[in-house]
Amino acid sequence: MTFIRQFAAETAEAEAGLFGALGIDLRLLILQIIAFLILVFLLGKFVYPWLMKQVDERQANIEAAAEAASLAQKSAAESQEQTAHLLAKARKEAAEIVRTAKLESAEIMSSSEKKAKKSAERIVADAHEQIDKDIALAKKELHNHTIDLIALATEKVTSGALNGKIDNERIAKALKESQ
Amino acid sequence: MKFAASDIHISIAAEPLFEVFGFPVTNALLTGVIGTIITVAVLAGVAGRIKRGRYNRFVGLIQWVFEGLIKSIHDIIPDKQMARKITPLAVTIFFFVLFNYWLSIMPGIDSIRIGDVPVFRSLVADLNFTLGLAIITIITVQIYAVRHLGVFSNASRYFRNPLKDPVGAFEGILELLGEFSRGVALSLRLFGNAFAGEVLLVVIAFLTGYMAAVTLPIFMAFELFIGFIQAYVFFVLTLIFTALAVAHHGPSKDPSDDHSPAAIAPKPVPARK
Repeated sequence: MTFIRQFAAETAEAEAGLFGALGIDLRLLILQIIAFLILVFLLGKFVYPWLMKQVDERQANIEAAAEAASLAQKSAAESQEQTAHLLAKARKEAAEIVRTAKLESAEIMSSSEKKAKKSAERIVADAHEQIDKDIALAKKELHNHTIDLIALATEKVTSGALNGKIDNERIAKALKESQ
Repeated sequence: MKFAASDIHISIAAEPLFEVFGFPVTNALLTGVIGTIITVAVLAGVAGRIKRGRYNRFVGLIQWVFEGLIKSIHDIIPDKQMARKITPLAVTIFFFVLFNYWLSIMPGIDSIRIGDVPVFRSLVADLNFTLGLAIITIITVQIYAVRHLGVFSNASRYFRNPLKDPVGAFEGILELLGEFSRGVALSLRLFGNAFAGEVLLVVIAFLTGYMAAVTLPIFMAFELFIGFIQAYVFFVLTLIFTALAVAHHGPSKDPSDDHSPAAIAPKPVPARK
């Protein structure tokens, strides 16, 4: 304190007392307090409201954007959950469809296999029957041809020498032999 | 009137230039008028441009600073209503101190003189202004404390019955002294920095002579930085004192609010059976 007093006394020379030496003047002090309070009042009344309005608007925008982002995030999460649910459902349905299709295809295959087998058997049976018929027919035709040939040959060999009785006997014999 | 710093002139007190109706007009007061005009012009200009929707980089800069200050206010004072009320005072303190501090590097400070008295002297280098600002701050803090806590509750911060609570009574006296010292510290800190800054510039100019054109800008830039720091410190301390005053709630009966070393020491872990 003594140092300040000495230093102040040196510089302020004639001023009396510590406050005077430091240049503290009550009138100046009060004037500056009043002037500053008037400045605060005027700025608070006419200037800061505009700056505050701007800050408030920006804050409101930020809050609105944050809220919108939060809603969008929530909506995205919901849609993601919905998509996952739909995907799971679709997978389940697809698996069911595949399983049913496999069963049905197996049934169809089995059925067509049976049908094919049956049809083949029928075709084979028909073919056998036809072949048998053809064989029988061929045999009959061959038999008839043979008889005709024999008759013709016999007629040629014994033409005129034999009577009807002998012919018949020979024919019967020939037939018997041929059989 | 002299236009050269031919000799060092250092005076703690602001010096009167002339008198108006017997009222002394000091060099600090004259510079303070310039500082006030600059503060009003800048802030009103920016507000006017915002009102008209005409923005430029300077408006953006002031808006950016203003928003930073508002954010600081809300960080320090959680009560939104109180934060909004203290905003005009705190923001005005910041801008007014900033512009007036920056005027201390204005060309002509100390070099333009009437007789031996410099015409210009930064307002923040006048103890009348810094003390006035500190008085405004302390009174405002007390007003908010009374509004928030009530007259008696606020008074109980300082005055307690020494027979019932001797420690509390002593604490109250310390609190009262603390309020006084806060005001004195606020004013002297700002005054000391501003005054020392001006003296530094004058001394550097005197010592370096013609080289001052090279050396002074470095110190001027340093002073600009210090000016910003001092303005922000005064602004923040105003807010902190307000927050401390309204947050005071006396001796707590809540055991969860016990911050004694015994209470905050880690509890022993019970042994497993």
